Amino acid sequence: MSKLDPLPGLSPYPLQHFYDEMYAEERSIRPHYKHVNRMFSGMSPEELQLKQKMMQRRMMEEGITFTLYNPAQDHPMERTIPFDMIPRIIPKGEWERLEAGIVQRITALNLFIHDIYHEQYIVKDGIVPRRMIISNCYFRPEMSGLRVPGGAYVTTSGIDLIRHHDGEYYVLEDNLRTPSGFSYLFKGRSLMNQLFPELSLASSIRDVDHSLNRFLSVLRSLSPSRTKDPVIALLTPGEYNSAYYEHAFLAQQMGIHLVEGRDLVAQDHKVYLKEMNGMRRVDVLYRRLDDDFLDPLAFQPNSLLGVAGLMNAYRAGNIAIANAPGTGVADDKAMYVYVPDMIRYYLNEEPILGNVPTYLLSRTMERQYVLDHLKEMVVKETSLSGGYGMLIGSEASKDELAEFRLKILADPARYIAQPIMSLSRAPVLSGGRMTPRHIDLRAFVLMGADRKPHVIPGGLTRVAMKEGSLVVNSSQGGGVKDTWVMA
Amino acid sequence: MLNRNAEALFWIGRYIERAENHARLIDVHYHIQQEEDFRAEGHKWSRLIDALGVRNEYQQQFDGFSEQDVLSFITLDLGNSNSLFSCVHQARNNLRTLRQHLPSELWDIINSFNLWLGEQSVADILSGPHQFYQQVKERAAMFLGAEQSVMLRGNEWRFIGSGRFLERAENTTRILQAVTVSCKSKDINAIYTQLQAVLKSVSGYQAFRRYYADAMSPESILEFLIVNAYFPRSIRFSFHKLEEHLAKLRLDSSEKGSGHERVIRQAGKIKAELDYMEKEEMSGDLVEDVLQSLMGSCQKLGRTMEGAFFRREGVSA
Repeated sequence: MSKLDPLPGLSPYPLQHFYDEMYAEERSIRPHYKHVNRMFSGMSPEELQLKQKMMQRRMMEEGITFTLYNPAQDHPMERTIPFDMIPRIIPKGEWERLEAGIVQRITALNLFIHDIYHEQYIVKDGIVPRRMIISNCYFRPEMSGLRVPGGAYVTTSGIDLIRHHDGEYYVLEDNLRTPSGFSYLFKGRSLMNQLFPELSLASSIRDVDHSLNRFLSVLRSLSPSRTKDPVIALLTPGEYNSAYYEHAFLAQQMGIHLVEGRDLVAQDHKVYLKEMNGMRRVDVLYRRLDDDFLDPLAFQPNSLLGVAGLMNAYRAGNIAIANAPGTGVADDKAMYVYVPDMIRYYLNEEPILGNVPTYLLSRTMERQYVLDHLKEMVVKETSLSGGYGMLIGSEASKDELAEFRLKILADPARYIAQPIMSLSRAPVLSGGRMTPRHIDLRAFVLMGADRKPHVIPGGLTRVAMKEGSLVVNSSQGGGVKDTWVMA
Repeated sequence: MLNRNAEALFWIGRYIERAENHARLIDVHYHIQQEEDFRAEGHKWSRLIDALGVRNEYQQQFDGFSEQDVLSFITLDLGNSNSLFSCVHQARNNLRTLRQHLPSELWDIINSFNLWLGEQSVADILSGPHQFYQQVKERAAMFLGAEQSVMLRGNEWRFIGSGRFLERAENTTRILQAVTVSCKSKDINAIYTQLQAVLKSVSGYQAFRRYYADAMSPESILEFLIVNAYFPRSIRFSFHKLEEHLAKLRLDSSEKGSGHERVIRQAGKIKAELDYMEKEEMSGDLVEDVLQSLMGSCQKLGRTMEGAFFRREGVSA
């Protein structure tokens, strides 16, 4: 009997009232985790710690890092993302439902963005208020009436999901601009295969490698030229960007050019690579740069990161941009509330995946309910992000609650509220022992000119590395897990 | 290849060469003794700072010259852009921007090199300076070896090579300049001791003895380091290699007659000057002018290359 699993089948930690991915309510191991559980239980803590060290060292050596940029420091710090070795496992049926729900959601969101930049039927029909478009800082009037290759706006997207203690998945956020994390997904899998070849061989896991090929063909499909071999480039802000490793990784894996703004030049409504052998025309630009920085002539005039004249070339139909500028109009915090309605409106279907219940405080009934249950709510200001202007009811003092109550009553339309969700937990290895941590899931979707969304099987499971914490962001010390979808 | 990638490759060649040169130079100076070294505490360390030409930068940070401060500053200090670690670090960051074009062995070697240096402290150097700098040289040699044995002989390889040999020519020139200037007023013996140190600092002592075993004079050392055709760290050898790399760059024919040709012509001219250099030019007062003009040529060539390859703007329709 090993130290990890003192009583076979029993969880090594109390489950409390959270949903645990490995252990079921009755404190037995969920069937799809049996094999993995046996494997990790069979190893000594020393052995596990050694593997963990090897993993971390390997990541440093390969340079699988993200960059923490601190203006006070001379040199930006490169860190590896903590990688936990116990995979998160999603059974086949569960994944199929998730996949269907995500495909449905992205299809509707893409239709919505197209609509917003063209006829705006959804506004005319009174589903989404006009002010939500006009006041949205991600809305790009420059995109109005513009024909986008294949009508595909959200070429790549990342849908963040959580599992509540009721066992259901809920969408927490849609990332439609430049979602990151692809490289950790692909690299995490290959590291697992190196460290535990016996484990992955013995399990029937859906392959993720072919999704990389899919990524490339999706980008190729956007090419506006008729050339057989379109020139594709990934536009990065540069080596000090926190996701630079990812940019280099994707460029390398797909065999596309990794470029910065200064490597490109726009002329005669076309965009060229500045190469040793002269200039080469670019057909598709996969940008990992925010809208604001894409083109100093069209957007922020003081930005040095982009390409002057890119938007003119884009408007002339000479280059495709993935993701299209202006997609952020649909991933705004307030717009999130309307996604289920978008699904009903554009697809005439009921949403498969739910939102976290969200109350619009401009509506009297909802406002009253929220005010009556303020201690159980998270209240967010719609126009702010990054945790600003936010109230977490359970952690707030009496005075803070009273103060927020007044703020809400003064300007209810500025706020939304959500019940406090409890993220599911999964075991991680810490000091050679299993301990529970909260997790979420970022599912990645690729969509080319055929507008058929492809969900990469599994996605990236993000882990809050501190016990009890709900913060999974990598910049806040969060980690990741390999995510398996059973075949 | 992107212009920026070409420039990054060129600088990878330069930085690795520079790191290797630094290691050799520090190691040699560390182990030679001069009379003043015994008279004045700190002379040995200020001599090392001068050999690397970083006195101003050093004095902005430190008041005196101690072994610990000097070794830390020239070896591990990332704030000193010319330290050994900075060179490796910058080479590594350059390589990171074009990993996809190069064999992964190169990345593994240079990234491990960088990680290893990041883990070193002055105490590690002091516990065995010779071993420490030996390891640096070995790691640089590993990079060179991997690059020689696995890289395609394309433009990528040529740019690394161009960077390496331009840096090497400059390095040998600079070391010789430092010696001839500092020994100007002194007697022949002082020059001789220093020139011997120079020979060692370019690992040329053994090779030199094969040519001039019976005639170890300052003139012969200078001649050996400037124009010997077979010693890989002589200025002439470096320029032969440099010109070869530049000439074999494969660029579109439409680009001929432009900057590329000018670069080759410039390198060829310096090479020819070295090929036909007279003995008299390498002795006495003349050698200072020769070295001065070589240094100028190196710097001019670097600028021409920049204009020809790395900084081109606009589209030629």
